[in-house]
Amino acid sequence: MERVRKYWNKPSRSAYVFVAPSIILLILFSVIPLIMAFGLSFFDVPITMNTAKFIGWNNFVEAFHDSRFLNSLKVTAIFTGLEVPIQVLGSLIVAALISKNNKRNKFLRAVYFLPVICSATVIGIMWRMILHSNIGFITAAMQSMGLGKINFMNTPGLTIYVVSFISIWRSFGISAIIYVTAIQQVSPSLFEAAEMDGAGKIRQFIHITVPSIQPTFWYILMTRFAGALQIFDIIYVTTNGGPNYTTESTVSYIYSRAFSSNSSMGYASAMSVVLFIIIMFITVLMYHRMNKEE
Amino acid sequence: MKKLKRITAVGLSVILAASLAACGGSDGKEDTKESGKAKGTTITFWNSFTGADGDMLVEMVDKFNKENKDGITVDMDISADFDSQLSTAFAAGEGPTMMLSSSAYRFTYGDYLQDVSDVFDKTDLDKADFIQSYLDYCSDGDSLYFVPFQIVGYYMYWNKDLFEAAGLDPDTPPATWNEWQEWAGKLTDESKNVYGSGISYDYAYQIAHIMQRFGGLAVTDDNGKWKANFAGNAGYEKFLNMYKAMADKGDNPVEADTDSMASAGQIGMTAGGPWVTAGLDTAGVNYGIGLIPQGDAGDMNSVEVIGFAITTAASDEEKEAAYKFIEWWNTENDDGSSPALEWSLTNGFPAYTYSVQDKDEYKENEKLSVMSSADPEAPTDFITDSNFPGINAVLTDVIPEMINAVAFGNASVDAALEKAQSSADKIVEDYNK
Repeated sequence: MERVRKYWNKPSRSAYVFVAPSIILLILFSVIPLIMAFGLSFFDVPITMNTAKFIGWNNFVEAFHDSRFLNSLKVTAIFTGLEVPIQVLGSLIVAALISKNNKRNKFLRAVYFLPVICSATVIGIMWRMILHSNIGFITAAMQSMGLGKINFMNTPGLTIYVVSFISIWRSFGISAIIYVTAIQQVSPSLFEAAEMDGAGKIRQFIHITVPSIQPTFWYILMTRFAGALQIFDIIYVTTNGGPNYTTESTVSYIYSRAFSSNSSMGYASAMSVVLFIIIMFITVLMYHRMNKEE
Repeated sequence: MKKLKRITAVGLSVILAASLAACGGSDGKEDTKESGKAKGTTITFWNSFTGADGDMLVEMVDKFNKENKDGITVDMDISADFDSQLSTAFAAGEGPTMMLSSSAYRFTYGDYLQDVSDVFDKTDLDKADFIQSYLDYCSDGDSLYFVPFQIVGYYMYWNKDLFEAAGLDPDTPPATWNEWQEWAGKLTDESKNVYGSGISYDYAYQIAHIMQRFGGLAVTDDNGKWKANFAGNAGYEKFLNMYKAMADKGDNPVEADTDSMASAGQIGMTAGGPWVTAGLDTAGVNYGIGLIPQGDAGDMNSVEVIGFAITTAASDEEKEAAYKFIEWWNTENDDGSSPALEWSLTNGFPAYTYSVQDKDEYKENEKLSVMSSADPEAPTDFITDSNFPGINAVLTDVIPEMINAVAFGNASVDAALEKAQSSADKIVEDYNK
């Protein structure tokens, strides 16, 4: 026992003991399921997983011939294209405006953060009711202002923007708060020096704030990208993929194939693998770019 | 001598008791009922009743746990993610003793469900008291997989105030679909955001209940082979044309959530399950309830049966304990009430036994009387033959694609039906292999 204690007590080894719990959890809940999903994608497996028939690449071939899967990739791409830039740049601008520690800014930070602590279900139901085509508050207000009757949640081509807005509204606060924390870490002397040189607020923001918080920028960009590509909860509770599948994201479709009564775990796993590869590819590209810039 | 008398007396009492037991045990139920195997057993009970009805279920289960004299404890778990919970448990070789689900679950989880047809032998439940067509719905051949708990049919609801405002008789609902369409036009009042008809494009169950009245079942047994019936189905074509015409004219909203609109008093006529009444009652809507108009496909009583199932995870003792709970649920107490009756009256679901339907409180309930007025002998199949294992695929994939394509003008009615046929053919093919 003493020998074991001595062995692990060395600084170079004790680090492993401290990280062991996290590594074990990571292996149990991320690595093993990931490997299993890869494996399952080559089998025809029902929801109960009591039988498995090896079918090679068939699930992948089927996925790329499945119009709903291809459509879900398109929907996810549109959603990501809308959410990520607005989230990453919009929250940066807002963060710059509320970064000073005064009462008003503290209040605004709390307001922006409020949706983050609400559950997606509550947010979804709330917006669904507010934007309902006939009984929604906003719809009725717009109609009374003579703007016509807008069917926000049931118009193909429009609803994806509405869902994107809800999603941005929901997670905007967390990005803004992370930016605020990063901005507050920038040395005030840099701003003072710039001010003495006659630089205005916008120039200070572009030439001091933005370069100083680049690691945070990349962090938010990468996490929002990965998050947007996996969008599910807000869609599930607001539109469930409708109208006419125009808001059905890839994860929504994977979920319906995995856990609906018409389940096919193997097929769902194959689609998950495709999505995983897409996310990994984009993340690696961004990581590469980030390292290059640093 | 005294001792002899005592022995004789005890002996006679034993003989008397044994003969009395024999008189009552001619149906062969005695062995199990008296086996006492279930005594002190704890059983797990999973379901997805997360709403207000779930609160009532919790109360009922608590009541059983306190009242039953066998010391049986029912440990209930209500989950919003019932499907995932069930599938992962079964995959891990576990599962609940008893569960409540749609009888269609037998197609997905059939390997994990026990035959419960002996429930009528091993309890005092009378099979003849159960409406046979509902039992048939829960059966596969001679095997019964679910004991009915709740009958989910769809009914027509109409807003009497809107009828009156449109000059229609508030006590006379449409008897045909032609009347429905015609009256929808009269009821619609754009200035008040009122729509005559409330058929949702995103409500496959509602669509299915209606369209089968027009064109019959979507999948039928064709000499031992499953056959899909979308393409060339004149009834379905008529329904889709009617829906499209009403949507285009503005008599039916292109909206996923029509129930909220009905509760807000903005829908003249709609179809839905018994839960619709809760929203209408809460909102104080003056409404009528009736059977969905029959169409060209003839008389039908399409329902979904929710039932108690015993899984393969249950031991014999647990199965017996679960039977005791099911028996208690369907047995009258001294006041003449039963959990099944209370459930029907409180939640507004029609009864599945004749004895409950015969109760005065039940007959006096206007809604329940209407719901039970469908011919119990009429076919109960819902959208597909009740033995077709792919019903969920038809409901989750084929019908939504078809109605969405029509609602949003992506395809003509004929093209939508052709596409639905091709999707359904793929599903049917899987089960014909």
